[in-house]
Amino acid sequence: MNNVRLVLIGLLIPSLLMIPYSIISFYTDFANKNPEPAQVTVSFQGKVYNAIEGKRAFEQYQCMGCHSIVGNGAYFGPDLTNVYKRIKGNDAALAAYLLSGVPAKGMPPMREREMSEEDAYRTVAFLKYAQMLDTNGWPNNGSWDRDGNIDGVPAKQISPSGIWQIILGIIFINFLIFIVIMVYESEKEEEHD
Amino acid sequence: MIEYPSIARTGKYFVTAILLFIFQMILGLIMSFDFVLRGTSNTPVPFDILKSLHLNVMVLWLLLGFIGGLYFLLPKEVGRDVKYPVLIDFQFWFLLLIGIGIIISELFFTGKNWWLVEGREYVEAGRFWDILLTLGLLSVVYNVGITIHERKRHMSSPMLVLAAGAVGSILMYIPGEIWFNSIIAAEYFRWWVVHYWVEATFELIAAGAIALILLSITDVRREIIEKYLAIEVALVLITGIIGQGHHYYWIGTPGFWLFVGGLFSALEPVPLFLMAWSAYKDLKENKKPMQNKVALYMIIGATLGNLLGAGVWGFIHTLPQINFFTHGTQITASHAHFATPGTYLFLVLGFAYIAIPALSDRTNFFQLRGKIGFWILVIGFLNMIIALLLAGIIQVQLQRISGMSFMEVQNILLPFYGWRTIGGVIALMGGLVVTYDIIMIGRKKIV
Repeated sequence: MNNVRLVLIGLLIPSLLMIPYSIISFYTDFANKNPEPAQVTVSFQGKVYNAIEGKRAFEQYQCMGCHSIVGNGAYFGPDLTNVYKRIKGNDAALAAYLLSGVPAKGMPPMREREMSEEDAYRTVAFLKYAQMLDTNGWPNNGSWDRDGNIDGVPAKQISPSGIWQIILGIIFINFLIFIVIMVYESEKEEEHD
Repeated sequence: MIEYPSIARTGKYFVTAILLFIFQMILGLIMSFDFVLRGTSNTPVPFDILKSLHLNVMVLWLLLGFIGGLYFLLPKEVGRDVKYPVLIDFQFWFLLLIGIGIIISELFFTGKNWWLVEGREYVEAGRFWDILLTLGLLSVVYNVGITIHERKRHMSSPMLVLAAGAVGSILMYIPGEIWFNSIIAAEYFRWWVVHYWVEATFELIAAGAIALILLSITDVRREIIEKYLAIEVALVLITGIIGQGHHYYWIGTPGFWLFVGGLFSALEPVPLFLMAWSAYKDLKENKKPMQNKVALYMIIGATLGNLLGAGVWGFIHTLPQINFFTHGTQITASHAHFATPGTYLFLVLGFAYIAIPALSDRTNFFQLRGKIGFWILVIGFLNMIIALLLAGIIQVQLQRISGMSFMEVQNILLPFYGWRTIGGVIALMGGLVVTYDIIMIGRKKIV
């Protein structure tokens, strides 16, 4: 019975604490100075798109499948939290970038994924909103993610020459793993006898 | 031979879980080629779809494996058969259909229909599938709940922990489905799904399952095995529930999470250490010669994978002062590829190696093949983990501290990505050996 009480205390105290924590995270003066997504807008051909529609487009085209936003997502492409800053706030340039992609670096043209120009501008509105978030200073000052320009470096592919250090490393590490396995298995044998 | 007829229906859960795991590894392997041959590889399926399938297939086989394990172990512990045995079959086909639906939606409807694909990491499955999946899982909760309610025996604590973990996992799928306009709130509650799974409810499943499997393969007394269970569970919950804060450092939530999240998530390895230590003590106590060596290997693998992958690899980047630089780098990938297969893959395989020989009446099966498969899996995953960890350290230094651009750093990391691919190939071979072994052990007598 004491055990049940212990587990219940372990469950209930932190669960109950999560309620004020969650409220403070969003609804008081403690909360960070984050923008209201409905008010962050981008206009294209006389129409205005806000970051709420943008978030939906961002989710629908699965941007998070290659990129990260506030550091969450996949690490195949660069983090998108500050991409709007990196492109110097140029809506049209960012929308064009999305639609034509960078096939040489692995980014498909989103036009081929049936992204319309409207959806591209919606996504731009979302990215404009993302760079306004108060993320407690992440990413750090001086890092490319925060202060960089658009990435001009071309992508390389792996080449067989110049990777001999890695091959030596692989052999060395696997030799160590193999020794550990052998020691473990031989100790088992001895226990049996 | 089989005391409770309903457990004969659970075999297909394990076989399907393992086949889906092979599928997940193949997807991961294709993606690793996208990293080393960036821009040139013309894979017919784009990276983001592969990635979302890689995660969703994992969620599916974890759920199948855990539900199968739960249904397999439940009757013996409550002293009666599952209340509605037909539901076991029905739920399996229902979940499998949803899984196939999710896979087809991902492949053909990404970017086209938000109701079919949502594109948020881990919960990519669209709203339509979310609702069906929740209904299917709630029926599992009902079936398990009513069986426990009408039990004929005092239920042991590991079973209670396992059932609580499974039910909790199913309930924690719901917060991720709420729509929020703000990315902060959306991320805040998306982590309720992911974090509360891997760091609370799945850990309960792990604690309960390790205890139950040890009970079934050793002769150590129940009291000794259950001795630390309550403390483990209480510590998992205390550290895990508030340890959620380590996902709230940089998503636009207040700075107090840096303190609260850092403090509690730094304590998260403690229950994992306790789990490994108590399992070690139990095994030392054991006098019975163990027949099912492979299941024992899987359980030791799961305990050590949990301690090292979730505990140590999590701890190295959980403090906000460190996470400020490591957040969103390959270090996280290394941690994920250690903690998830290290703990939950070996747990599901442990379940399978207990259940399948029992169901097909081959308890004295040939052990060497399973052991070899286990070691090949370990070698493959260790190569992957070490390659990604080194890549992560280099990425942090160059990209986050020296300020080099993303693509410049990715070019430097290419050899490490190549190493990761080698690890993936080795792990896939190990997975194939284990799958072949399980299918051979379970052949004919279960479908």
